[in-house]
Amino acid sequence: MNNLAILPIIIPLISGAILAFVHSKVSLSRTLAKLFMLINLGVVIYLTLEVINYGTIILETGEWVAPYGIVLVADSLAAVLVLTTNIIAVAAVFYAPHSLTEAKEKHYFYTFFFFIISGVSGAFLTGDLFNLFVFFEVLLIASYALIVLGGEKVQLRESLKYVLINVFSSILFVTAIAFLYGVVGTVNMAQIAERVQEVDQQGILTTIGILLFFVFATKAALFPLYYWLPKSYIVPNPVVSALFAALLTKVGIYSIIRVFSLIFIHRPDLTHEAFIWIAGLSMIFGVIGALATNNIKLIIAYNIIPAIGFIMMGIGFFNESGMSGSIYYLIHDMIIKTALFMLVGIIAYVAGTSDLRKMKGLIHDYPLLGWLLFIAAFVLAGIPPFSGFIGKIQLLKGAFENGEVVIAIIALGTSLLILYSVMKIFIRGFWGERQTNNKLEKKPIFGMVTPVIFLLACSTILGIGAEWFVPTIESISSDLLNPQNYIDSVLKE
Amino acid sequence: MEIIISILAGIIFAVAVYNLLQKQMIRIIIGTVLISHAAHLFILTMGKLKRGQPPILSEGVTSYTDPLPQALILTSIVISFGLTSLMLVLAYRTAQENKTDNMEQLRGKPNE
Amino acid sequence: MIFAIFIPLLFALFVPLLSKLKERIHTGIFVLFIPLSIFLYFIRFIGKDFVPIKQTYQWIPSLGINLDFYLDGLSLLFILLISGIGTLVVAYSIYYLDRTERLGHFYVYLLMFMSAMLGVVSFDNIFAIYTFWELTSISSFLLIGYWHFKERSRYGAQKSMLITIFGGLSMFGGFILLSVIAGTTSIRELILHADIILNSNYLPLALILILLGAFTKSAQFPFHIWLPDAMEAPTPVSAYLHSATMVKAGIYLVARLSPIFSSYEWFFIIVSTFGIVTLCWGSYMAVRQTDLKAILAFSTISQLGMIMAMLGFGTKVAIFAAVFHILNHATFKGSLFMVAGVIDVQTGTRDIRKLGGLFTFLPITATLALFGTFSMAGIPLPFLNGFYSKEMFFDSTLQLTQSGNGIAQFMVQIIPYLAVIGSIFTFVYSMYFFFGVFGGKKHTMKLAKSPVEAPIGMLIPPMILVLGVIGIGLFPNAFNGTFLAHAAEAINPLSSAGHIKFWHGLNTPFIMSLIVVGVGFVLFKTKNVWKKIYDILPGRFSFNKVYDQIIKNIDIVSTKITNKYMNGSLGTYISLIIGAIVVVTGFVMIQTGGFTISFDNLAEITIIELTVAVLIVIAAIATIFSNSNLAALLITGVVGYGVSVLFLIYRAPDLALTQLVIETVSVVLFLLAFLHLPKMRKRSEKPPVKLKNIIISVGFGALMTLVGISAHSSNWFEPISDYFLDTALPIGGGKNVVNVILVDMRGLDTLFEITVLGIAALAVFTLIKLRKDKEEAD
Repeated sequence: MNNLAILPIIIPLISGAILAFVHSKVSLSRTLAKLFMLINLGVVIYLTLEVINYGTIILETGEWVAPYGIVLVADSLAAVLVLTTNIIAVAAVFYAPHSLTEAKEKHYFYTFFFFIISGVSGAFLTGDLFNLFVFFEVLLIASYALIVLGGEKVQLRESLKYVLINVFSSILFVTAIAFLYGVVGTVNMAQIAERVQEVDQQGILTTIGILLFFVFATKAALFPLYYWLPKSYIVPNPVVSALFAALLTKVGIYSIIRVFSLIFIHRPDLTHEAFIWIAGLSMIFGVIGALATNNIKLIIAYNIIPAIGFIMMGIGFFNESGMSGSIYYLIHDMIIKTALFMLVGIIAYVAGTSDLRKMKGLIHDYPLLGWLLFIAAFVLAGIPPFSGFIGKIQLLKGAFENGEVVIAIIALGTSLLILYSVMKIFIRGFWGERQTNNKLEKKPIFGMVTPVIFLLACSTILGIGAEWFVPTIESISSDLLNPQNYIDSVLKE
Repeated sequence: MEIIISILAGIIFAVAVYNLLQKQMIRIIIGTVLISHAAHLFILTMGKLKRGQPPILSEGVTSYTDPLPQALILTSIVISFGLTSLMLVLAYRTAQENKTDNMEQLRGKPNE
Repeated sequence: MIFAIFIPLLFALFVPLLSKLKERIHTGIFVLFIPLSIFLYFIRFIGKDFVPIKQTYQWIPSLGINLDFYLDGLSLLFILLISGIGTLVVAYSIYYLDRTERLGHFYVYLLMFMSAMLGVVSFDNIFAIYTFWELTSISSFLLIGYWHFKERSRYGAQKSMLITIFGGLSMFGGFILLSVIAGTTSIRELILHADIILNSNYLPLALILILLGAFTKSAQFPFHIWLPDAMEAPTPVSAYLHSATMVKAGIYLVARLSPIFSSYEWFFIIVSTFGIVTLCWGSYMAVRQTDLKAILAFSTISQLGMIMAMLGFGTKVAIFAAVFHILNHATFKGSLFMVAGVIDVQTGTRDIRKLGGLFTFLPITATLALFGTFSMAGIPLPFLNGFYSKEMFFDSTLQLTQSGNGIAQFMVQIIPYLAVIGSIFTFVYSMYFFFGVFGGKKHTMKLAKSPVEAPIGMLIPPMILVLGVIGIGLFPNAFNGTFLAHAAEAINPLSSAGHIKFWHGLNTPFIMSLIVVGVGFVLFKTKNVWKKIYDILPGRFSFNKVYDQIIKNIDIVSTKITNKYMNGSLGTYISLIIGAIVVVTGFVMIQTGGFTISFDNLAEITIIELTVAVLIVIAAIATIFSNSNLAALLITGVVGYGVSVLFLIYRAPDLALTQLVIETVSVVLFLLAFLHLPKMRKRSEKPPVKLKNIIISVGFGALMTLVGISAHSSNWFEPISDYFLDTALPIGGGKNVVNVILVDMRGLDTLFEITVLGIAALAVFTLIKLRKDKEEAD
């Protein structure tokens, strides 16, 4: 029963290994990948239901009791995020064959893909800080492999920067863990939390917390650490970008949520207050970046940053509405960013360019694509009745409850500019007369569009059917605000 | 001694970062190699130095050094090695495709 | 009843199918039944004994978002407008839109709008209202962009979207603020808790945010600029959304919420000021236009301003007049838009400079326009509804009493004069519209088509509206008690109209009307003389230019900012990142007094360790100065081997061994890679760059050392490792505790550490292989 917690990590790991052996048989790989992914999704759905209905599942690996061995803690936050990850992964695995060349598929795409899923799920589930580092490395190294897949000139150039900055932050991560171990003598997160609480987070502890924050903020692409993100996210294949956008930055923000709701919560005047400003600056600079370019992929890539800002804002408020908003927005953003990266991937494919200035009138040939983008733009901007709206309501509520008026207004203004930046693609790329000198014949895109429809449907259900999810999210939020629950369930006190 | 090792690790960090800020790929990679050494030294220091025997259980020894940091360093060394080798090949391939190993010439254009 | 709101949206799903039949049956004919049946369904609620009806449908109760349907007099007025005008507009569109157009799209958008607008006016829940509010903006965007192959359409669509969604989002903020202050999301409960809201510190902010929503939607000065550009939409859309219904959503909102705010004097000041300025500016600018639809657009702006002003006054008379004028405006302006459409279709132009003398060619259209324009001008004739509400407006401006602050007092003084000035220009543009098109000399040769009267089907909808103008004019009291009074009461319970009369004697409002007609007539006749004034006011300034500049600058400034730091340089990125880490972490360390150093319980310092450490430092620093691949490699190796010696000294034999092996393998790898990488060059940084690099790296190193020392000096807890030492043998079954930890207690780490290695190997292989394959393929 408790072993359920490790399945979302192990199934993808084994799947990835199996797929490495059959890598040369493309159609077999595709079928197996889809099959494994669906099995994993099934398991994760089961896990999530168990956790939501019967409470946190804790697995002490190798039967070593916490805090000594590595524990996996499938609490409802982790379960819900693993579920979202798998929903995205299913969409991606169905999109991939249409987007990738066979050569890339043969060169272990599916293996790396499953390893990323394994690493991400591990990062969500683990209750051990050093183990979190290991899972970070798993997902990062798989991401390095994926980002260079294809080996184009530009791709290599941007990948190298991506890798170097991430390597730096990984090392900083290990160092910060070492410092923390020096003070509290443990790497189990629940026990760290307990001990930090015992000494009231005095002395050097807040400083170490800030170092950890910088580690996670670099991965999460928060202000002022996001420089590596935009360019490197547009060089790989769209399906890879979609995965990165949905998962990698989100693991970073998840870690911030975890660490700053569980461990470093005793000096909110220094930490959480600062988060609000960081959130605001991320929103502003992120959306400015999105407005600054005519490259449709870059527009979406920059839009990752303000979204992270939105999530960060709720963590900064650290009240029930804000936290619920952050989590709802996190789930929403994982889904919609995947859909948007897939969409711009298709658009660039059918238009033969990602330069917005070179496209127009696409709606004549690709009406479905156009309308999907249109809806996705409103989903992204948090216009009702889609998922972003629910998160935004809670976030802004959290803001006003704490009297944080300035950030609320920045958030509203950013929403408008986000909408504008994406709507530009619709107005300039899809509206207008059909391009006459069109050497490009109409391309079949149905296979690529289906996963997008699936994701947008998820997003709509999260919005219109919010009542099915909000109570769960609110209970997650209230758990996060009462870290003693987590500590007790891990340490069994 | 712990303080001296901390200073040593700090110096290695400084040198490593200085290398990271260079333009030439080789220097940057040397930077990443150095920086992991610094991190490992810090982990070791945090577990107290030279308290007792190596953590290999033997009769009559009551005091051992802290084994956990050593385990963590081992994991970290292996991971760093994987990263370094990947980075070397990546750097080599990048230099080859782009015909330069100067990072400043690998900026790319805005709006690309 | 709640279902009625969604009928258009549901029906829209079938429109694409029905539009396949458009060659045989115009899609509009199917669509016509939707608003018609809604109209017929709701018209039965008109009556003296009407009581509000309530229905609730739970949507997201956890967040207090419910579809609380609440039908009171005000909602009923709007629902009937939406469905009634909607019916006429759809009927009109059947003739206006050719079957070659994309009818399916048109009607889907229109039906979407209909549902959205019905939702806005019939829900009691603020978030439900917001949901439908944004949907009206979206459908309006699509309708303006209906002919998206035209540059102007795209421009207009984007503009309206940006401005109305800007307003929508700020209104959303205001709503959330209200719900946080009062703890409820229902408007009726908010009204009950008005005292909490009025005493809140956030009152001004909430008011401003909400009014921004209302003002942008209802095209109030200076947000009115989107409305003239919205005229790129097909004319039925202009008549429907951009005159009769959607632009009144802002009016509706202010009316709805005025019970909360009306006792707050800034509500009076802001709403009346914006309203009255909009009235004057709109009518003044309307005279300057040459496009028929632009005249009507500015006229709409001005009339909306007038209604807004009356809501700001908030008195009994003003509220009733506002409600009355909402109805009247819909009738005469709707008919005038349809007339403009007829002229456009029949003559091929809407440019008033090319038109003139059309009375003889289009007599029916001209007659309709006559009633419409004269009613709009407020000419005192007993069969024109416009006069009644206009006179009530004058009356309300005279009855203002404000005991508040100086600004409010001043407003009370000048409002009647501004009202007259605005109305004078209203008179002028009404005459200008009518006589410019139908009067004067004919110069039909300028026209693309020779004008003939429109088909009767196209004239019936405006005819019905003009019948409304006359009907309300002749029998105003038929609409009063049964209908308008309920709407007014919904806004202000004290408001009831008494009896609407044409002749009140020669009182001040009537004199004001006479002044309007007199001065207006003179100004109309002498327009050519004074029109140069437009070169001074607004002169070359226009709010459009402001908007265009903003949009242009958003692009330019954001590009400038972004290119400045997102320059693709790894060095810049790393400097910025590490710089931020050093500054912020350093600040926090100082702020929390984090630094501690303790010399207790330290390991002793021996010469050998010290020597190794010094060697490592020298080697490390030497990497910076080395200028040869091989040398750099060797001294990097020295650091690595030095570290393994330290491991050995510090009782970590396994580590020392691993480090040794890995270092050796690394050196080999480096050798291989260095063969292929270009030779090391001398570092060539300019001194300032060098200084910056030194500061950053030394800062970072120092920070790490300080944190490290502090962490080490504050070990307040026993590490958990004792447990490992105790259990390694009995439970783990091994003597080498490090090994037991790796394979057992932290086996998961090790499993994934191996995975990392495996992935790295695969990735290296792929990096090299994929290239080879490519070369072979080439």
